[in-house]
Amino acid sequence: MNRTAACLVMATATAGFAAADDKVDYNRDVRPILSKNCFACHGSDESSRAADLRLDLRDEAVKAPKDGDPPIVPGDPDGSIAMERIVEEDDTLRMPPRKAGPRLAAEEVETLRRWIAQGAEYAEHWALVPPKAAPAPAASDPSWLRDPLDAFVLARIDAEGLKPSPEADRATLLRRLSLDLRGLPPTLDEARAFAADPSPDAYDRAVERYLADPAFGERWARPWLDLARYADSAGYGSDPLRTIWGYRDWLVGSLNANQPYDAFTVEQIAGDLLPNPTDRQKAATAFHRNTMTNTEGGTDDEEFRIAAIKDRVDVTFQAWMGLTMGCAKCHSHKYDPISHEDYYSAFAVFNQTADNDQPDESPVMPWINPEVAARQARLEAKLAELKSKLAASPDDKALKDEVAKVEKEKADVPTLPIMAELPADKRRVTKILMKGNFLDPGPEVGPALPKALGPKPDGPVDRMTLAKWLVDRRNPLTARVAVNRTWAVLFGSGIVETEEDFGTQGEPPSHPELLDRLAVDFMDSGWDVKGLVRRLATSATYRQSAKVAPEALEKDPKNRLLSHAPRVRLDAEQVRDQALALSGLLSRKVGGPSVFPVQPDGLWQAAFNGQRTWSTSQGADAHRRGLYTFWRRTVPYPSMASFDAPSREVCAIKRVRTNTPLQALVTLNDPVYVEAAQALGRRIVAEGGSTPEDRARLGLELVLGRPPRDEQVAPLVALHAAQLERYRDDPAAAAALATDPIGPLPEGADAADLAAWTAVANVLLNLDSVLTRG
Amino acid sequence: MGLDANLSLEQSLRMRLARAETRRQFLRRSQAGLGAIALASLMGRDARAADASPAANVPRKPAKAKSVIYLHMSGGPPQQDLFDYKPLLNKHHMQPCPDELLKGQRFAFIKGHPKMLGTPYKFARRGESGQWMSELLPHTAGVIDEAAVVRSMITTEFNHAPAELFIFTGSPRNGGAAMGSWITYGLGSENQDLPGFVVMVSGGTDPTGGKALWSTGFLPSVFQGVQCRTVGDPVLYVGDPKGMTRADRRRTLDALDRLNQIEAEEHGDPETLTRISQYELAFRMQASVPDVMDVGMEPESIREEYGATPGAASFANNCLLARRLVERGVRYVQLFDWGWDCHGTGAGDDIVQHLPQKCKDVDRPIAALVRDLKRRGMLDETIVVWGGEFGRTSMNEARGGSTFLGRDHHPHCFTLWAAGGGFKPGAAVGATDELGNSIVQDPVPVHDLQATILHLLGLDPFTFRFPYQGLQQRLIGVEDGVRIRKDLLV
Repeated sequence: MNRTAACLVMATATAGFAAADDKVDYNRDVRPILSKNCFACHGSDESSRAADLRLDLRDEAVKAPKDGDPPIVPGDPDGSIAMERIVEEDDTLRMPPRKAGPRLAAEEVETLRRWIAQGAEYAEHWALVPPKAAPAPAASDPSWLRDPLDAFVLARIDAEGLKPSPEADRATLLRRLSLDLRGLPPTLDEARAFAADPSPDAYDRAVERYLADPAFGERWARPWLDLARYADSAGYGSDPLRTIWGYRDWLVGSLNANQPYDAFTVEQIAGDLLPNPTDRQKAATAFHRNTMTNTEGGTDDEEFRIAAIKDRVDVTFQAWMGLTMGCAKCHSHKYDPISHEDYYSAFAVFNQTADNDQPDESPVMPWINPEVAARQARLEAKLAELKSKLAASPDDKALKDEVAKVEKEKADVPTLPIMAELPADKRRVTKILMKGNFLDPGPEVGPALPKALGPKPDGPVDRMTLAKWLVDRRNPLTARVAVNRTWAVLFGSGIVETEEDFGTQGEPPSHPELLDRLAVDFMDSGWDVKGLVRRLATSATYRQSAKVAPEALEKDPKNRLLSHAPRVRLDAEQVRDQALALSGLLSRKVGGPSVFPVQPDGLWQAAFNGQRTWSTSQGADAHRRGLYTFWRRTVPYPSMASFDAPSREVCAIKRVRTNTPLQALVTLNDPVYVEAAQALGRRIVAEGGSTPEDRARLGLELVLGRPPRDEQVAPLVALHAAQLERYRDDPAAAAALATDPIGPLPEGADAADLAAWTAVANVLLNLDSVLTRG
Repeated sequence: MGLDANLSLEQSLRMRLARAETRRQFLRRSQAGLGAIALASLMGRDARAADASPAANVPRKPAKAKSVIYLHMSGGPPQQDLFDYKPLLNKHHMQPCPDELLKGQRFAFIKGHPKMLGTPYKFARRGESGQWMSELLPHTAGVIDEAAVVRSMITTEFNHAPAELFIFTGSPRNGGAAMGSWITYGLGSENQDLPGFVVMVSGGTDPTGGKALWSTGFLPSVFQGVQCRTVGDPVLYVGDPKGMTRADRRRTLDALDRLNQIEAEEHGDPETLTRISQYELAFRMQASVPDVMDVGMEPESIREEYGATPGAASFANNCLLARRLVERGVRYVQLFDWGWDCHGTGAGDDIVQHLPQKCKDVDRPIAALVRDLKRRGMLDETIVVWGGEFGRTSMNEARGGSTFLGRDHHPHCFTLWAAGGGFKPGAAVGATDELGNSIVQDPVPVHDLQATILHLLGLDPFTFRFPYQGLQQRLIGVEDGVRIRKDLLV
């Protein structure tokens, strides 16, 4: 992440130092320096303030203390004590103190000097000023634009002396779109049809098709599940299992139904407080029941209930507003305008729900999905039948037992933990916790929302007030954060690269006007999520080729300017889903209880005291999308963890993408991927014609979504020939590689040939272009 | 794409990346994220091009130690029965606990008014340093002169998972980065064919804190602890599929390499080159990991000294493997041994029958490890730490009226020792009161221990940071007041 930051620094530095008489911009040039070096001791946190001096507010910084001169004298850098201390040669006297950090660099000192000389004007942090839709800048090449957003991107590319890339070829474009919108590669038929369709709206129709695919919700649920810290276990101690998959299904359903983001927000935060809430609206509140509970012997329930409430406060502000509240648990935020009291006022809003760290996760509601409803109807019918029989022979013991059995079965429905407000006579009193310690309560506080962050609500504050405040048009952050997150999914990283931090410690946006324009348009559209995805995916910026020009690699190595499309490794779930889809093994069933695909023996047996058995799913459930894999926080599914999926113990806004040998071991040797290679090998033999060359061609076309070039075919034909010869001589090895674990050979198949194609398919599924979306 | 004519594709891409890299480094000056280069090298990424070893880019102090072997007795060993000799406690055995010991105390399980619990074990001064130790650890007593023994460790947590998280991530809540992750992030790995941070578990179950104890947290996931197993694949998926030999694997990788080279030429993405090298590293790991993880490769005399048996998931095997790993340049080896939670709810967790058995499991291997490291000249550069996540009460727990003797969780004092790597041989730091209930001299908080370990490795614990969630995160937490403990050092 620092690399990208550096790139921005480079960009701003170029802008800032181009000419000495340029106006210094507080937010762009000065705040990062003060924030990084000074505010920890001279900022908003009273408890750690040194020398009774604040530099974060102009009034304070220019005020003379009783017995001295003001730290900053506007217009007079040489007369400003702050400058004097910063350039102090004695290392024991200079600011910041050695303990706090290194000396400021010469260009930073120069920036501060010029800023003071120009009058030391302060400005509010950009993210706290509500967005305004700026008109798109004039474009150097209007023919390139497909959406006003492209003009903002092009202007920056032009300014840095780069050029946008040409549009990607059609095969690349369709594969990118399919992976981005539904997390799956295009089918062979889709790819061929698209390549053969010359109509100008072919791409737009593909966008519509993928937006309407039920796989859309499955794919877009992934980032939200990370952020919602959704998991199938409680977390602490023995990490007992938890039934909460109804929330995941609620989420997939909402995304597929294109629920507007404001309603999506209100239901998750406070669905239970809506007038006459529906079951779905109540179910949405499971969002905040994904907090961990602690059933370890000898723990204090109140301690962990409080930890859960803190988590809800943190996640709410993090997820919707991109703010880090964490530090305000213990003291006032040193950088952002969130005081210790603000934190516990927000805490008070969440502090009135009935849940309190119980092993049964109460309160819960029944979660009746269509499958369960069908089962219930069946049981109901059976019960009616049994009861009428019983009416005829009331003393039949067997019949009575049968009725009891069916009734019990009918009562056993999946449940979903939800939020429920305490009755008026049981309301809790909230106190500020000193240093965050629940054993050290301070003054009492009432529910309120952070004063500096948005409009002041009327009347008493509860979760509903908070939810509506989040999606109030005057809230400066919610729309920006949502737009930025969507952008990051489609463009590899956000316009604000620190997706998790829009505060003063975060990175400034690479394209501030673009972010604001998208945010305002998003609100104007009625918070239309699919509309936003459509808009980004049909832009010229999105449709660029991912090929990197040497100048772009040198000038903008992290591609912050988007002079080409990003080339990124697929997510953990996508790596799995794609392998299963390409090999034809994937089950497309949507929703239901989490499943247990193959994993190495004994992983769960190590977990202390908890459930120790991973009972591997059979049939189609062995090949469901990664989204449905049972997620136990302390024992993550190994291939997910290897490909950077978080543990979901806490909110994760973005996944770091690594490139490690352990990942190679997964896609080469994990039985899931060996089976996929076997299935793909069989598919190649069945559908790929009769010559090794034709088959290799089909294999490449399948996995790459395009017909291959000859130079790609040759190494695979050679590998097949070498392996075929070797497996002819070793029937036992051939049988093993061709059938373990997928199962017996198809009728009339040649084990040695299938083993050789399995080896080829193993290579295909490990191609860089397959693991990457380009 | 206009490659320089005289350079190979790879050289050319790396050169460009390196130029970009150098400029960014310059712009970032010293505020650069520590270990960016360590990360690069661990990820196999342009380490050569950037022309810098991890050491050159991390603001390092001279290091005493290179690696760490941390022996964690999961559950919390009872210090009164092992290291903290309290004759007065024995005198008050089974007498009611004085009221002042109960005032304002929270216990995990003790209810009502407990009785004091003396130790059933004999204590003596052991070694030239004259450390008080009980008869339960006779072999460890033979190497105790190598160690600095701290009888005044103190923690803030009295439940297992939070206390273990606190020791190993510096924070009692999930989400932090493990000490092993911090250290490999800061120092990189000395062996490109093995993970830098290895974890092994014995005693039948994971520690209570679970895999969060070796989680990379907010640090890049490449620094995650890799669990090595003595049963099944030593590292998950390190074995080729059935029916595939090393030669078969080599041929598939050659084909893969060829196709990926074609891609790299087409896309110009340096990440493709990284992926190619990671597959090669994986191929080497497939040989090096099973090799290092095979205790059968050790001479019988050594195996016997440790009490190691090939194929067993035992603490003894793990100790021997820890030495083999460190010998090959692994930076941090973490062992967890489950079974030290001596509540006395039955014969399976009391201090009369169960505790001696646990001591027997670990005593000989620990002594063998320290001796073996010393013999090989490795102890000077290898920190060995032994301890639990908290201490145990001087009161008998008697949960539900149990007649088995045992002790409840106790955060206010516990014993830990550290040997090698610059820890002071023979030092005895801190003391508890006459009943072993609270510290009366030189408390050593958990963050001080962590700061001291980082310091010995040449990492400045105070400036070794990573920005996350608006805070400059540190292993030792963000609060002031943490100290490097000179009293523990040579």
